[in-house]
Amino acid sequence: MQIITKNWDKINPLDISSYIRQRGYEALQKVIRGWTLEQVVAEIKKSGLRGRGGAGFPTGEKWELAAKTKADQKYFICNFDESEPGVYKDRTIAEKNPHQILEGLLIGAYAIGAKRAFICINGHYEKSAEILKIALEQAREKEFSGKGILGSAIDIEVKIFEGAGAYICGEETALLNTIEGKRGEPRLKPPYPPVSGLFGKPTVVNNAETLSNIPYIIKRGAKTFSQIGSSISPGTKLFVLEGAVKNKGIFEAPLGISVQELIFNSIYGGGLTSGKEFWFAQIGGASGRLMPKNKLDQPLIYGNCEYPLSCGSILVVDKSVDIKEMLFSWASFFHRESCGKCVPCREGTYRLWEIAKRLKNNDSKGCDQKNIEDILWTLSNTSFCPFGNFAAIAWGDAIKMFRKEIFN
Amino acid sequence: MQIKINNKIYEANEGETILAICKRNEIRIPTLCVHPDLLPSEGICRMCLVETNMSKCLVPACVQKICGGLEVFTETEKVNKARKINLELLWMDHAGKCASCRRNGRCELQNLAEEYDIDEFKFVPRRKELKSEDELDLLKDNWSHVVLDEKNSSIARDSQYCIECRRCVKICRDMQTIEAYGMNYRSSKTNIGTPYEIPLDCIFCGQCSVVCPTAAITEKEDIEKFEKALADPKKMVIVQTAPSVRFTFSEEFGMPAGTFWEGKLVAALKVLGCDKVFDTVLGADLTIIEEAHELIYRVKHKGTLPMFTSCCPSWILYVEKYYPEFIPNLSSCKSPQQMLAPLIKTYYAEREKINPENIVSVSVMPCTSKKYEAERKEMNASGYRDVDVVLTVCELARLLRKRRIDPAKLKEKKFDPALGISTGAGMLFAQSGGVMEAALRTAVEKITGEELGKVEFEMVRGESGARCAEIEIDDLKLRVAVVHEIHNARDLLESMKKGESNYHFIEVMACPNGCIGGGGQPVPTGPAVRKARIAGVLSRDKGMPIRKSHENPVLKKIYKEFLGHPGSEKAEELLHSEAGQTAVGGG
Repeated sequence: MQIITKNWDKINPLDISSYIRQRGYEALQKVIRGWTLEQVVAEIKKSGLRGRGGAGFPTGEKWELAAKTKADQKYFICNFDESEPGVYKDRTIAEKNPHQILEGLLIGAYAIGAKRAFICINGHYEKSAEILKIALEQAREKEFSGKGILGSAIDIEVKIFEGAGAYICGEETALLNTIEGKRGEPRLKPPYPPVSGLFGKPTVVNNAETLSNIPYIIKRGAKTFSQIGSSISPGTKLFVLEGAVKNKGIFEAPLGISVQELIFNSIYGGGLTSGKEFWFAQIGGASGRLMPKNKLDQPLIYGNCEYPLSCGSILVVDKSVDIKEMLFSWASFFHRESCGKCVPCREGTYRLWEIAKRLKNNDSKGCDQKNIEDILWTLSNTSFCPFGNFAAIAWGDAIKMFRKEIFN
Repeated sequence: MQIKINNKIYEANEGETILAICKRNEIRIPTLCVHPDLLPSEGICRMCLVETNMSKCLVPACVQKICGGLEVFTETEKVNKARKINLELLWMDHAGKCASCRRNGRCELQNLAEEYDIDEFKFVPRRKELKSEDELDLLKDNWSHVVLDEKNSSIARDSQYCIECRRCVKICRDMQTIEAYGMNYRSSKTNIGTPYEIPLDCIFCGQCSVVCPTAAITEKEDIEKFEKALADPKKMVIVQTAPSVRFTFSEEFGMPAGTFWEGKLVAALKVLGCDKVFDTVLGADLTIIEEAHELIYRVKHKGTLPMFTSCCPSWILYVEKYYPEFIPNLSSCKSPQQMLAPLIKTYYAEREKINPENIVSVSVMPCTSKKYEAERKEMNASGYRDVDVVLTVCELARLLRKRRIDPAKLKEKKFDPALGISTGAGMLFAQSGGVMEAALRTAVEKITGEELGKVEFEMVRGESGARCAEIEIDDLKLRVAVVHEIHNARDLLESMKKGESNYHFIEVMACPNGCIGGGGQPVPTGPAVRKARIAGVLSRDKGMPIRKSHENPVLKKIYKEFLGHPGSEKAEELLHSEAGQTAVGGG
């Protein structure tokens, strides 16, 4: 089943006509020429599409909230600030089929009545930014964006905004702050962005992969889409397989698939690299949980589940890996990327990194075990935003699962 | 609406936060980023976390709005665990040199550490002072950026004490609209600082040091200079104390806000070894006479109007830096400190036959900005530096504590009479609206030539940030305005630019409620504390035998013997200056 990857390598990302030949921008035309705003929102809501950025919030509900909020100006933002370690799905979409993101963005902006839209790109993604700029230029020439889209009275001005590449700026309110020229820190919620977002106006922030699903839903109908994958979270998902797996890279699979199948099925991972023995898998980037062997049959879905799918990366870890090295690498990442706003995260990630350094050098102190527990507890219970919680997830699992290996 | 806190029912209003209700009902919730002078917090210190029946997570009481059926628990095991761990983490981010710290005993972090039994360092403190280049290596593993900034004459910053609560950032941005501070770097290297770490360049109002919970921002300490002068037998140390100091000094020794401690203050200074203690209120009276004269002149001769008061050095600096087009509007009168000081080194020195070179002129001020003012280039009208040392209230109290002098136990003393007789009008300078009221008392009598029946001008009193009034004096309708806090002043200047306001006389004070809310005043402060201080000032004015500046007998004598008349050549030379003469930011 292919929704996102369908036209990969069939079209030239630098040439809009190759996308149009594959029935591109049909969904946009359909919507602009005959659908009311409410119809679009209703269709997306009916499809059951959930955000692919990590949190899995129902996309239609977000749109509906923003569409219903009255304001003189609204904004639609594509969150392209992909910065989870080991995840590069959005980047690949942009490099293979940028117009699919753009089309989804324009439909979304139309649906909530936004005249301005932004694509916020991680500052490290220079190539993606270049490709998207070209795509945007071509779309403007063909009147898919800009003033009077497709001869109608609808104006949607799309701009590309390049961030500075901080991890926290992928969090939607921090992202809004960066566009406003402020420090990249999460805002207090509520109010949520669909009510008061960019410059205090109703704003929808959707992940690039989420938006890539929109043209399909419009063309084929919500019903068709909702029958793909799992019933709670329909559709397909891009999974990034990394680590000790034979076939590394991006695979599109229906949601509800198990990790077992992703790793071992020959059309996906094709099993472990020869000579390696499976130890555990980390689901969803550096902030993801560690999945032991006996849980591999768990379905990957958005919704209430033991192992959140998050952004969809699966890191396969084999037994040759030193868990202390991993602890250190997680701690370094979160220590570096914490925004420094709240106490537990600013200080806690630093101390965790300090302890990780000691563990790595095998000179941990007696009090370290207790201190780790305290810090992980305060990170997950008292942080300002989910980042602090993320920083504690993998560590928490590792301490639970491998206490002996870690503290000898 | 009613909500339950710790199983007891409390009345609450819609839209209130849990913290607001707890504060009202004396339920203890520790906070480090909330301050009564700041806009609502964003919940960044995580000290005020509480448990509720509505959420599995801990919620910050400072931002969580209440709703029907809410039950709050402020002292559960989970809550205390959260506070303790986060405090431990903060404590280790902090210098922890309490015994030698300027805020020892007044530090909010220290108090919380005491409350939650934080006494051990679980980790290596990560902020270390860099004494020499060689120590760079030591810091490599435990790196954190330390900023020491004492390049200006008013405010000292030492980031090893900073706990990144951001109160200073907010007060500077929201109350004073200067935005001198912001956050630099990120993660554990996050540092509150100036853009590109340039030395602090602001209006030196010192509100950041007032709200700082630790000693990360304090006044630039001049105690050493003062002690040196005291120890020098050749020097004659002459101190003047500002109007507001006698109302706030007592707080440093545990008295309730607003307690009047003039006699104790003088006595304490005498015990320290000061030779003479004079009263800045006399300088204030002098300011009023000169300023009223100037105002009448400007009104009668169609001079630049409105005229702005010029007692507040932060306000002058603000106009010079941000609205130079309004410099002509500033009164040319110097502030009370800078009027009294040259008189000490000229009039008093001549009279007592003292070589002014041997006089060390010290002033005890409510203000950090006065330190900057004393160092302005033009403040040498006496031929010497008019004011040599400026101490804030906090500094003086610190020195007294250090020397184990308890003013409470001292017998009250009077100011030295040569320059120590004051009036109620001058006393009013302590609070916002006071300069205006004092000036009106004098100006009205000067214009009408008749004695005022009622000396109070209640229309210019009050706590609101911007007040205005119209006063009929014979056929003149004098329109006046009183503002405090720079954001109000800025609004006023902007409306003047658009031609929307037409006042004759405007009083501006940079600090909340004027000098009694100054940057050198005791902590903790807030609207309630300042209200009590104002009450003290007003009641003192009421009880004064002389309540109009021009009736000050000492001043009458000084004019007769020395200055001549208001606005005379001598007065111009000693008591007036042209704002904007000095290079901006200089001094």
